[in-house]
Amino acid sequence: MTKIKEHNVNSDFAMNFGPAHPGSGNFAIKVEMRGERVLKATADPGYLHRGFEKMMEYREPMQNAVMSDRVCVLEPLQWNLVHAEAVDYLMGYEIPDRAKHIRVILAELSRIQSHFIWYAVLSLGTGFMTGFNVAIGYRDYILDVLNLITGGRVYPAGYICPGGVRKDFPEKAENKILELLPKIDYMRKFMLKENPAWLARFKDVGILTKREAIKFGATGPVLRGSGVASDVRRDDPYEIYDELEFEIPVMDEGDAYARFNVGMQEIEESMKIITQAIDRIPKGEVKTPNLKPTVKFQQAKGEIYIRNELSRGEGAFYMVATGQKTPYRVKIRGPSFTHMIPIVEHLLTDVDYADVPAIYWSLYQCPADVDR
Amino acid sequence: MKLGIIKEVFKNVFTKPMTVLFPFEKIEIPERNRGEHSFDIDTCISCGACARICPNLAIEMIDAPQELKKKYPKTYPQIDIGKCCFCALCQDVCPKGSIKLTTNVFLATFDKDDTVRSPMSWNK
Ligand code: SF4
Ligand code: SF4
Repeated sequence: MTKIKEHNVNSDFAMNFGPAHPGSGNFAIKVEMRGERVLKATADPGYLHRGFEKMMEYREPMQNAVMSDRVCVLEPLQWNLVHAEAVDYLMGYEIPDRAKHIRVILAELSRIQSHFIWYAVLSLGTGFMTGFNVAIGYRDYILDVLNLITGGRVYPAGYICPGGVRKDFPEKAENKILELLPKIDYMRKFMLKENPAWLARFKDVGILTKREAIKFGATGPVLRGSGVASDVRRDDPYEIYDELEFEIPVMDEGDAYARFNVGMQEIEESMKIITQAIDRIPKGEVKTPNLKPTVKFQQAKGEIYIRNELSRGEGAFYMVATGQKTPYRVKIRGPSFTHMIPIVEHLLTDVDYADVPAIYWSLYQCPADVDR
Repeated sequence: MKLGIIKEVFKNVFTKPMTVLFPFEKIEIPERNRGEHSFDIDTCISCGACARICPNLAIEMIDAPQELKKKYPKTYPQIDIGKCCFCALCQDVCPKGSIKLTTNVFLATFDKDDTVRSPMSWNK
């Protein structure tokens, strides 16, 4: 900082990228510029802070399940799942097999639609409006199915709730999901088309080495794009993931293109998971017996840290129960936090301003889960 | 590569658009959709469970107006749609199935008081 001021030249200035910038999505980065070059970037989180951790300490588990949607707008079902697993553990719920399958199918659908948004915002950030429109259009097909199953297009309102899921699949939901898969596959191929403009914007841009990725605590596609094969679904399996066959895509380059490519390959794996889960889904109950909307959380005692592989990386809940109606303490680990603060600051040093949106969005962030 | 693009363009000229011409055409809303509530005052037993579970405190138990007091002597849920997050916990908790969320999603109003649904308003 001082160094820049000493060598102040006429073209030096500082400005904000976000939080009300159309390309930043409610997150602010202060960039110090020399001409068109970014010298230094400082993340400025907090614009979207809603205080979920504190709010959850004053609400009962079912109400918290509804609120857990909001932790990240773009992958609400997966946040539902992490929250539900934390309460399941504390309450000692046995989850019926059918509910586990439904949870996994919905979490993977949610992952796919989230990856579509990733492509959409990458396109938006680099001025490729066609890509944005097509991705959002195809995401809508998934949202229609989510609406059929959960009753809400974007927000499932705690559909994956403590003790199972709130309702069984409606009639023909499985068929509807299977009908979706060709559309998803079409979109996946569309996204992976080698487009020269796309390559020029993302190849060799924002390189994060393996060492740095580990040092800064990257997870998810960002970590796998830097050559580390780590995935909670495989390393610490939850629900039925240990019974399913799928691969973990990894790329070594560590640039924006590799991260994005890993994400796109994950769509294929998610489709495999969905097909297998639908093939094996048993009949039966979808909730633990006698589950009521008013969970008797007074019976729970102890603490738990539970982690899941969300679309953006590792998301976790820490919850303490002390025999009260509400949790004593809740802590949420959002995967975007490490991506958006240390990593973005590291990658946005000495780069062209035109590369800022490409690097920023290639880190696959969600401002909502940074600020929580 | 170039031919691929041309093929794509031709294909898209002859396919239907993704969007529909609202309001002349509508996409069917599934039955499970969580939209505006419906409430049946005659089956309600005034237990207040819906008001207790509502995470947004959108439900308030109120008395019936004076002229209907005889028929409806207890308190009944008044729902403020403006505070509601459409979680359907009230529907799940209601022992009599009096509250249900419907497929009506057209809830915009010009006056902010219009968002409050009194328990009597559904019986009109
Ligand atoms: S749907 Fe949820 S927020 Fe709305 S009134 Fe019912 S319980 Fe309250
Ligand atoms: S609507 Fe249902 S839950 Fe609410 S007071 Fe009436 S019976 Fe009880």
